[in-house]
Amino acid sequence: MDRTPRLRSNGPLWSWIRDRVRLVGSAALGGGVLAVLGVVVLLLVTPSGLAVVSTQAFSLGALCFGFGLLGWSGSVLAGSSVENAQRYLDTGTNWSEDDSRRAMARIGGFGFGGMVGVIAVSSILWV
Amino acid sequence: MASKWFVVKRLLLLVPVLLGVATLVFAVLHISPGDPARVMAGQRASQEQVEMVRQEIGLSDPIWVQYGRFLADTAQLKLGESYVLRPNQSVASILKNSIPTTIELAVYGQLIGILLGLPLGVISAIKQDSITDHITRIGALTGISVPIFWSGPIVIILFSVTLGIFPTNGRIAQQYFLSDTWLFFGHELPRTGLITLDTLLLARYDAFVSAVRHLVLPASVIGFYSMALISRMMRSSMLEVVRQDYIRTARAKGQGERITFLKHGLKNAFIPVITVIGIQFGTLLGGAVLTETVFGIEGIGMILVDAIDVGDYPVVQGTVLVFALLFTLVNLGVDITYSYLDPRIQQ
Repeated sequence: MDRTPRLRSNGPLWSWIRDRVRLVGSAALGGGVLAVLGVVVLLLVTPSGLAVVSTQAFSLGALCFGFGLLGWSGSVLAGSSVENAQRYLDTGTNWSEDDSRRAMARIGGFGFGGMVGVIAVSSILWV
Repeated sequence: MASKWFVVKRLLLLVPVLLGVATLVFAVLHISPGDPARVMAGQRASQEQVEMVRQEIGLSDPIWVQYGRFLADTAQLKLGESYVLRPNQSVASILKNSIPTTIELAVYGQLIGILLGLPLGVISAIKQDSITDHITRIGALTGISVPIFWSGPIVIILFSVTLGIFPTNGRIAQQYFLSDTWLFFGHELPRTGLITLDTLLLARYDAFVSAVRHLVLPASVIGFYSMALISRMMRSSMLEVVRQDYIRTARAKGQGERITFLKHGLKNAFIPVITVIGIQFGTLLGGAVLTETVFGIEGIGMILVDAIDVGDYPVVQGTVLVFALLFTLVNLGVDITYSYLDPRIQQ
């Protein structure tokens, strides 16, 4: 008997998790690498100290993370309402809750990766 | 009725929404120019004094430590104290007094929007492509297009300054003094903060009339915008519903037009509209920021503008979080109503 955990839609749970981890993880990795490079380059190019550079870089990462998280939860919360409004007001933008959630998850993941990247590089350079 | 799991899922969504808002506000305040330590210490303070304040409020810690502390405080509803706006007064107490003002304005605005928007949308759909329909659609387009910061001063000039019908600003005439408590079967209960309700509870009918007169213009300004979108949605939804087979069947059975529209059409056409009403409440809260500023009403919108103006970060953070919380709770209410009207949603 197949004992693979399954979702209500009868799809295998692991592939469902893997898809989502890949979606957010690749964005987070990109954000982390960009943040590390960004901090190092800014330290070399500008006269600002590590505290100022890490504050600005972390804040930018947090901005992306906050925007992504808010956008994702907003899409889940009000997605059907927005889809309805789009449909009845004939806006023809093809906006969908699914697409929005995926996009916001990537933006949020990118921001989170950036925040972690700034913490990592700053902790190393602080010593 | 909405299933328990549906409500729990919606309540759980509060966590990412508030975390997202808190993070966004934290990031924006740290990216934007301005030094809170300098604001707190005062413009004439020396660099040493500014540094001392910076140490005291933890601004010299690494940014991620500040972020973690901010999230931990927010989770415990510790919104901090005001730096400049009302020094040493807690943000929670500042907002506590102002939230009912904004809620009252938004609720009356929403009521005006619904009470005007729904019938206009239905009439427009019933009389499709007639003069009435064209006028209603032009009205709806105007309502959506005209910004509040323009329509607000225009209605003040027209109805207050020129015609003298309504007062220009405030919530109630200065001659009225309302006591802080009201009697309920011999028990003293505190006022709700909703001035129209308080005046009725205190049986001060003259004050009630004054409060309503003060509320008419600001509520109409934000209600007009809401009305425009609701009537537009109602028209489109109604037009779609009247083409359905069950409406044709009702007509074929010889049922009158009015009953066909009102009994079979209205409830089904209302389902997509109610979801927009939830989103609209967010727009109304955003509109309240402008409306309160234009009409001099001391709600959280006006406090937010003042706090941004003087760089009072804890007040800005607290106000934005309250806005997000209000918006999410209203949408939760709308979702529950929606699932009651359309049980397929719970599936």
